[in-house]
Amino acid sequence: MDVSGVLEAHKQKFKSVSVEGKVIPLEFDLGLLTAYDQNPIDEAELRKNKDEYLQSLSRDNAQLLFNEIFQLPTISDDNGVMAMLPVPTTLLPREKPLPKPKPETRWEKFAKAKGIVNRKKERMVFDDNTGEYKPRWGYKGINDDGSKDWVIEVPSGTNPMEDQYEARRDAKKERIDKNDKRRQRNLEEGAVASKMDQKTVNKGERPNMDNARSMKRKEIENQILISKNSTASAGKFDDAIKGDLKPKGIKRKFEPNVTADLSKEKAGNMSILDRVVGKNGEDLVNVRKAIKATKSRK
Amino acid sequence: MLRTITPRNARVKRVLKNREAKTEENIKTAIFIRGSQTSQIVNDALADLYMLKKPYAVNFTKKNQIHPFEDHSNLQFFSQKNDASLFVIGTHSKKRPNTLTFARMFDHQLLDMLEVSIEKGTPMSGFKTPKSAIGMKPCFMFNGDMWDQNPNYIMFKSMILDFYHGQTVDKVALAGLEYVISVTSGPLTSEGKPGKIYLRTYTIVLKRSGVKLPRIELVEMGPSMDMTFGRMTEAKVDVWKQSLRVPKELKPKKKKNITKDVMGDTVGRIHMGRQDFDKIQTRKMKGLKKRTAPTEDDKDSSEKKQRVDDNDDDEE
Repeated sequence: MDVSGVLEAHKQKFKSVSVEGKVIPLEFDLGLLTAYDQNPIDEAELRKNKDEYLQSLSRDNAQLLFNEIFQLPTISDDNGVMAMLPVPTTLLPREKPLPKPKPETRWEKFAKAKGIVNRKKERMVFDDNTGEYKPRWGYKGINDDGSKDWVIEVPSGTNPMEDQYEARRDAKKERIDKNDKRRQRNLEEGAVASKMDQKTVNKGERPNMDNARSMKRKEIENQILISKNSTASAGKFDDAIKGDLKPKGIKRKFEPNVTADLSKEKAGNMSILDRVVGKNGEDLVNVRKAIKATKSRK
Repeated sequence: MLRTITPRNARVKRVLKNREAKTEENIKTAIFIRGSQTSQIVNDALADLYMLKKPYAVNFTKKNQIHPFEDHSNLQFFSQKNDASLFVIGTHSKKRPNTLTFARMFDHQLLDMLEVSIEKGTPMSGFKTPKSAIGMKPCFMFNGDMWDQNPNYIMFKSMILDFYHGQTVDKVALAGLEYVISVTSGPLTSEGKPGKIYLRTYTIVLKRSGVKLPRIELVEMGPSMDMTFGRMTEAKVDVWKQSLRVPKELKPKKKKNITKDVMGDTVGRIHMGRQDFDKIQTRKMKGLKKRTAPTEDDKDSSEKKQRVDDNDDDEE
């Protein structure tokens, strides 16, 4: 049986999905759902009936774009049929620079040296006293300071009148403060290290923390020296403190009064003269400004 | 300058954390600003562009004394305050009528800026046709041969894509493709200057075509604008380079030994180790089994084997 006639008739009922007349094939960036049509536009047609021409041009290109999109691999989802898009090829600028890597903390450095690996612990742990699961830490956690116990045995060798509840509270507060101090120290050392090791940080890697401690010390010393010089008298009338820092590495150099070679001295003096008078006296007077000034005076 | 905020509660902390630099960035927010003087055309254009950009957009409804090409310090302030990096500023003056300025920021500093004048514009409300829903992902079309030749056109293309492409996704719902932004580049003027740009927006109608692919029809939804180029500030080369950097995590992983040739075919290269034919595993056959020469001790076992073999022969 010849069905080509039937198929042809079926086809005739619908409009075609193919687009003709594109000399240069379109380029697509399917990651951005974008089509680039490089074919030159028909200027005469654009002038004559602009909106119809633009619409038909857009329709043809949209048809080509959708032909591409509908041929992408698809998956079915709650949201219907989804087309898997490739990675966009058109480069668009970022909004913010790449995130800076976090500098290593002292603990991380130590753990790395010892080969200690962080392993995941469950958030909820069984509490023997209440027979319930409780968070390991935080609100209603098991690591409270022990001040909720209704009775506390006085440890031997302590003052019986001392408030044991307060002692426990204080101990916890101390632990928290200690941790906070260490966190602060890590932050400071990290800031100094990433400042000193800009090269690695700009590459997107963690800064070298090997000398972080000494670098931080140096930074503080520098700041002290600057602050000492920042009085009205540049530190001249300040009382010297015993054991105080002295600026290093600043030495005045005196040239000998009599030398056999005078060319160096001459060059030095000439350079000063040039700076004051200007080479060949060119920049001595701004002619344009001078003319303006004399004109306005008249 | 803005004061630095130290978070005092978890909500503020979360917001600030969301504003930090990330490997996978947020969708860029755009701010739509009216200049000291605007016309109806500019107002309509701003409103429509805002509607298309929603919900990642902030609309400044009051007028602002702002001249981005003279002084862009306001933009930096707005950018920091709203955590936005895209701007459209609408102004209207005798010298530069019906002007839109598209500006982009990188790290809250001005990256690049492009000015266009609307010669003829029809707002969305001018078309009595169905509109696309808010926040849908558009398709883009750039028609004409100018889009990668002239710096004005290149920047305009980049701006349009940057403004409206939304989140970079790896999959898209086919039913969710609702509208098209089609930009056509007009021919250069007789002096060789960049010509017009025709921006049109259409909703998509998918029709049956008798085959698997649908037949596309477009219905104009608006806004439609015919524009000419004005001033332009290009990005500094080093800043531009920095802004295009892709984090290591997002770079496609290189697959070793798999390449594509000119024809688009995938070619694989296999590295074989040296093959030792003595050890190679072929089909298992008894006759090929390696046998050590029978010694005095295990004579019994070899005899046994022999016997079994003999039996087999007898049966045949």
